[in-house]
Amino acid sequence: MRPSSFFLVLLVTLALGDGALLLLSSSQMRSPQDQQEEGVLVAGLGLTDLCLATEARYTRNVSITDPIAPFMDYPGALEHFPSGSFYGVTQ
Amino acid sequence: MNTGLEKQRNILDYGLMSLWRRKTKNLSVLLVFALVIFLMSSFQFLTGALTDVAQQSLRLAPEITVQKMVAGRQEQIPISYGDKLQEIFGIRRVEPRVWGYHFSTTTGGNITMLGVSSFDPRLETALLHGRLPSGSSAGEVVLGQGVVRDLDLKGRRKFSFFRPELTQKTFTVTGEFKPESELLTADLMVMSIADSRDFFHISETYATDLLVTVANPAEIETIARKIAELLPDTRVVTRPQILKTYNAVFGWRSGFGSVCLLTGLAAFIILAWDKASGMTPEEKREIGILKLLGWQTSDVLAVRFYESFAVSFLALLLGCTLGYVHIAFFDGALFRPVMFGWSVITPHLHLVPVVRFGDVLLVICFTVLPYLAVTIIPAWRAASVPPDSAMR
Repeated sequence: MRPSSFFLVLLVTLALGDGALLLLSSSQMRSPQDQQEEGVLVAGLGLTDLCLATEARYTRNVSITDPIAPFMDYPGALEHFPSGSFYGVTQ
Repeated sequence: MNTGLEKQRNILDYGLMSLWRRKTKNLSVLLVFALVIFLMSSFQFLTGALTDVAQQSLRLAPEITVQKMVAGRQEQIPISYGDKLQEIFGIRRVEPRVWGYHFSTTTGGNITMLGVSSFDPRLETALLHGRLPSGSSAGEVVLGQGVVRDLDLKGRRKFSFFRPELTQKTFTVTGEFKPESELLTADLMVMSIADSRDFFHISETYATDLLVTVANPAEIETIARKIAELLPDTRVVTRPQILKTYNAVFGWRSGFGSVCLLTGLAAFIILAWDKASGMTPEEKREIGILKLLGWQTSDVLAVRFYESFAVSFLALLLGCTLGYVHIAFFDGALFRPVMFGWSVITPHLHLVPVVRFGDVLLVICFTVLPYLAVTIIPAWRAASVPPDSAMR
């Protein structure tokens, strides 16, 4: 087999593999019923944030916290929670 | 076959064979290149998926949230503020919430305890089993799956927490939220507002915040402005602001995002520097021989282009595929220590990344295009010199 043919076969195989991965993972997508229940939860409980990091209040409730919250705990306080570095500035 | 196309295919064959002759070096380059792309694409897929989930899940977030600010910090808000808000035309309902965090000293988990004044009966559909707390019985709670794991009740329905002044309060579990909603409810312990007041010692004249529902959603911003004017010592957060926050909060501007980007770029610059700093004498001699055999400068450049394209495109495919697998099937395991930090209660993510053309284009622009450029330039310089001097 010519090297270019082998390279083409390799690319097509990888592309097909990627397609299969996309199909496989799409089965894990949230169903419309899940989304509807989430809507009921958010509206019914008045939720404002995703529950990702629960270690600090300013990463648990990103949208209703102060942008300077990490430095408000005591004078000269430095942010030390790892999750604080995951969230970007919002303003 | 078209002779032009056949010629290009022959050049591609030559380029691929040339790559294979130096397979150890080229496979190392491919591996490092794929790892750089894996890091960048993983982060891009993760933040994209989180942004999508936030936009979908929080589309019905409170229209307006009013918090009292004292000396730059959020404090309890007087219920009487709610009565003042009723003066504003267009407000349909003002609902107080009492909520806060409870740190469990035994497990180290931080639980969000949320007390609401009334329960929408439709919330029953979000429960895995059980029922919502009834207003009549004290201490009834519904738990998120993260709290269930953290408390490890082993079938018991009753448990106790210490109040801030170290008296005990006993809770009865009446239901659990479904695992599918963990991204919203993992650390939640939902109860009646009376229980929440009792646990946090917040008097009936105060609440943690006020949720405002407006008659016409198109007027959210106008009413929010009126609230801020009427109650200048409050912070007013609107639903569009919440969605805007989640649109901006996950991205390359975060500390971790910047580290990923800079690490990727540093690795790539070292890789590119090695290529751009010149060609080996052996490679120069090869070009000289090719030119002696009648190859044109454009043919030599085409060989180098195909070589670089093969390496960078394969690295792109491999890196993006690994990045997708990392997020979709391993829940972004490499990023979890930073994303969750020292959190004891964490949700199961189950994210499905959405592959956007823009995301892939960003990765291509940062990696593939510069790599193609830095490999072509030295080849052009070597191919421009006369063959005899190139071979010397």
